[in-house]
Amino acid sequence: MTSTHSAQSEGPSGYREAVELEFADATKVYPGADGPAVDALSLTVPAGAICVLVGPSGCGKTTAMRLVNRMIELTDGDILLDGQTIKNRDTAQLRREIGYAIQQVGLFPHVTVGENIATVPKLLGWDKRRMRARVDELLDLVGLEPDMRKRYPAQLSGGQRQRVGVARALAADPPLMLMDEPFGAIDPITRARLQDEFLRLQNEIRKTVLFVTHDIDEAIKMGDRIAVLRRGGELAQFATPAELLMHPADEFVEEFVGADRALKRLALTRVRELELRPLTGDQRRDGHPRIAEDIPLRDALAELLEAGRQEGVVVDEAGRERGLISIDLISHSLEPRA
Amino acid sequence: MIIAQTVIPDFGGGENSCVRQNKSFCWNWVQDNWSSVLWPALRQHVELTAIAIVIGFAIAFGLALLAHRHRRLETPLTVSTGILYTIPSLALFQILVGFSFLGLNRLTVEIALVSYTLLILFRNTLAGLRGVPAEVREAAEGMGLTRRQVLTRVELPLALPAIVAGLRIATVTIISLATVAAFIDDEGLGSPIFRAIQSNVFKTELFAAGGLAVALALLADALLVLTQRLVTPWARRQRA
Repeated sequence: MTSTHSAQSEGPSGYREAVELEFADATKVYPGADGPAVDALSLTVPAGAICVLVGPSGCGKTTAMRLVNRMIELTDGDILLDGQTIKNRDTAQLRREIGYAIQQVGLFPHVTVGENIATVPKLLGWDKRRMRARVDELLDLVGLEPDMRKRYPAQLSGGQRQRVGVARALAADPPLMLMDEPFGAIDPITRARLQDEFLRLQNEIRKTVLFVTHDIDEAIKMGDRIAVLRRGGELAQFATPAELLMHPADEFVEEFVGADRALKRLALTRVRELELRPLTGDQRRDGHPRIAEDIPLRDALAELLEAGRQEGVVVDEAGRERGLISIDLISHSLEPRA
Repeated sequence: MIIAQTVIPDFGGGENSCVRQNKSFCWNWVQDNWSSVLWPALRQHVELTAIAIVIGFAIAFGLALLAHRHRRLETPLTVSTGILYTIPSLALFQILVGFSFLGLNRLTVEIALVSYTLLILFRNTLAGLRGVPAEVREAAEGMGLTRRQVLTRVELPLALPAIVAGLRIATVTIISLATVAAFIDDEGLGSPIFRAIQSNVFKTELFAAGGLAVALALLADALLVLTQRLVTPWARRQRA
């Protein structure tokens, strides 16, 4: 985000270490239901990683997330936070240590943006000066002007509300964040921007994040790890985005990931990661499209196709030519490496 | 029931031709009887109303919190307060007077008036609490507010507009109803109104007392609106 300083060093609260989150046969069965909503879910999210729970509606992804802060109680199995079970924790206290951001944001309409952000710090009994400093810091972190603190939620745009929601979830510097489609209810352009900003923010603050979405593209973009769930709350595959695209575990995952998974993989790799062909002096390059080295392969391919060329010249930020890229080279990159 | 009082106008004679002719409104009668008749009646009327609203709100608020926590109580409470509300006021007064421990006094009047506030105040308070958006409640719980904190810091503040709206309706209703209460307890603005009707419809007294009741209702309503604006600054700040 448009943060002007390093949150790491200047946070008045001092950033807490992220923690590992482990689901150990976590199971939820609603009374009277045919089958479990979450079925013996086992997976470990390393500290500081973003794990995305993705799947069709009714797959139990939101239920699984809400088990973590005990908005829903486990029927069986366990969930461990930093190796400690959540089962004997006081729920209110546990929740104050876990950031919580939801799709509808749920800002309190009757208090200002500043007071909204300071909700958990206030519960934790921070003094006024510390809360004020933290609110200023967070507004900056999520790219909002400092004078926004005095506004009421009704005076904000949808995108601004989502930012305030993320700031509020981060307020007490929780080691774990739960995010349930936090960018779901906004237009695609703002959404893409918020996703980018969150990824940049995550680079700074390194929280453990459990992120729920039904959108596989969002999952691939946001996740370090992706857990694909199927109906009945069963884990279909738990893998990195590249692994998921390259080797879907079964037909369900393959179908869920989509027929365009090759293209999706191209979106994961940037031009500079490719071994480019060297430029030689005698090549005729006039008319070749110039392609920035920090864009994904998918965009590079689009540019080549649009220019009607087999090849393009890759340039760095300063405009220096780095090498040649071709449609062949891009398609080769999809082949599994020996 | 209304015992003839000392200030019955003398239509037959006297200096005051306006009163003698029973014109629509005689300002000098109002001036002459302000401190002896109208002002005391107005003060009593405010007392009757305030007592009824305060007690009625305390009861209704408690019931609403109860129904908010225990959903199954909502219907029985709505039905029973609703039945109280539908009993014709004159009949209710008569029924209450029938109880031997009650009599023609203020207690009887207040029991009736309070019972009329319950439905409005109960329903509005409950509707206000229920009207809190689900995602706001979920966010509050998810951030670790306890049940009591959700109620006091989120639900009640957000229910305020609905609660004040209920207080406005209840107050205006009670100010109007309390005039009928003079039927069993000779106080409040109902008292000069009854007397005026019995005195061959003495228009000045009727209009003066009736007008005061209307003015009181409007003033009380305005004060409540003002209060609401002061306590809910957020409700007015909508994005342009």
